[in-house]
Amino acid sequence: MTVDDAVLNISDLRIGLRADAEVELLHGVSMTLARGERVGLVGESGSGKSLLSLSVMGLQPPAIDVRSGSIRVNGSEVVGARDSRLDELRGRSMAMIYQDPMSSLNPVRSVGAQIVEAIRAHATVSRAAARRTAIDLLGSVGVRDPHRTVDNYPHEFSGGMRQRVMIAMAISCEPDLLLADEPTTALDVTTQAKIMELLDDLVEQRGMSVIFVTHDIALASSFCSRIDVMRRGEVVETGPTAEVMRNPQHPYTSALLASICTFETDPTRPLLSGVAAADALTGGASR
Amino acid sequence: MTTTTAIATAEAARRRSSLRVLLADPSVVVAMLTILLVVAFSVLAPVLFPDANAIDSPNRLLAPSPSHWFGTDELGRDLLARMAHAGQLTLLIALGAMALSIVLGVVWGMLAASFGGWIDEVLMRTADAILAVPMILFALVFVAALGSSPEVLIVILGIVKAPLAARVTRSSTMVELTSDYVRGLTVIGLSKRRILFTEILPNVFPVIAAVATLNIASAIMIEASLSFIGLGVQPPLASLGTLLKIGYGYLPDGWWYALFPAAAITVVIAAFNAVGKRIERYLDRRAV
Repeated sequence: MTVDDAVLNISDLRIGLRADAEVELLHGVSMTLARGERVGLVGESGSGKSLLSLSVMGLQPPAIDVRSGSIRVNGSEVVGARDSRLDELRGRSMAMIYQDPMSSLNPVRSVGAQIVEAIRAHATVSRAAARRTAIDLLGSVGVRDPHRTVDNYPHEFSGGMRQRVMIAMAISCEPDLLLADEPTTALDVTTQAKIMELLDDLVEQRGMSVIFVTHDIALASSFCSRIDVMRRGEVVETGPTAEVMRNPQHPYTSALLASICTFETDPTRPLLSGVAAADALTGGASR
Repeated sequence: MTTTTAIATAEAARRRSSLRVLLADPSVVVAMLTILLVVAFSVLAPVLFPDANAIDSPNRLLAPSPSHWFGTDELGRDLLARMAHAGQLTLLIALGAMALSIVLGVVWGMLAASFGGWIDEVLMRTADAILAVPMILFALVFVAALGSSPEVLIVILGIVKAPLAARVTRSSTMVELTSDYVRGLTVIGLSKRRILFTEILPNVFPVIAAVATLNIASAIMIEASLSFIGLGVQPPLASLGTLLKIGYGYLPDGWWYALFPAAAITVVIAAFNAVGKRIERYLDRRAV
């Protein structure tokens, strides 16, 4: 696989605060994603995993700027791209679903209208044709009775159903890369399982590449073929899921694995010992 | 399925209740009825009083009587008929000015909110500058320079009232821009212009409606003031302000000539203000 075959190629990405040259948030992250590959990006809060996925979409907050490195999606450079170019890439080459399905749909427009808008942003199709596609999409993400619900408003859906609508919108333009930033964190466990199942099917059918951002390494391991562990703005470990789970190389990964609760977990074991060991190895917070 | 239906019904009830909340306030009901009455009366003026401008010299300056409820003017014309026609012009100017101010203000505010930075600064400082000049003075200068046909008045009042709409639109748009659904639409590749005008606009519409209602009241006020000092609508055309000004010359003997147009202006402004303020207060409470 050459670099240009990759759906996503990030090389030596450095991101920092615009206002303070001293503060660097991502310290030269590199990552390549092949077509159809699923990568789980795991790490604790503040490790830079969400910042990385937002940067891929070209959506880093205004206070933050990309200092060096490149992000290529389907061979197109995202870093420094104009807004109009980003609008073309978003939706068609890459799409994103994220945490809060309760507020991520426009409350005053029907879900159908929003999906239609998404389809028509990238393809010249009639409103009627786009609406038919929207109904098909809603059906394929498991929304019941899509012919009727297409005209419903977001508040008429439950959290899980809204996340399905979000997924329908995200895949409406058949992106090659799907960024899922904690898509199930706000949902209860049973809904979470159903959404993961749905994602699994859709990704399989459509051959999308996925970056699955989560703090839950157990969830990531069930869904992804590869795990990248991030800590303090660096990818500290990467490898096939089975390999990483069985034989973690980095102490931080071991600590993350140790944090998974199982029936065998010893409740008296100190939870933070693994992290403390990792701190000692990486030089603590000196960065 | 039953739960979905239940939620939908509850929501429908809630949505209807926003109008119900407004109508539960008797002052709003009275104000809305007043507005309706005045509008109907003005619109129907040509039908109700086809010969309002016919001069009838023997009946000059008659006091109110059963045949002339509001009395007659200096040329013997029925004052009620003249007021109906004048009201038509007053409302036309006020509504035109409101529409223009909203269109200008919404675009103005949305551009400021979405570009930010120095464009925002320039646009909003311009708005501040216009708002800092007393409105009547601003209008005076332009009327003196451009004349005072109804069209010119609409444009001037529209421009004078636009900054208020711009400010309100900008602040509401900025709130909406940070919301998750805007990010959701951005990640699927909707352009900023599309997001602003098809997605955000319906969300900020209620706030704009409140400003629009208040702008109507204020436009009537300024138009009447300009007419009163002789810079508004010129005879033979007449707005309520023009009638008031002419009637003022016949005080105190022809008291009805000034009194009824003045009362009409007051009532209409009060009615629009009552509705506008109530919408504003309702929105405030919802925001809490």
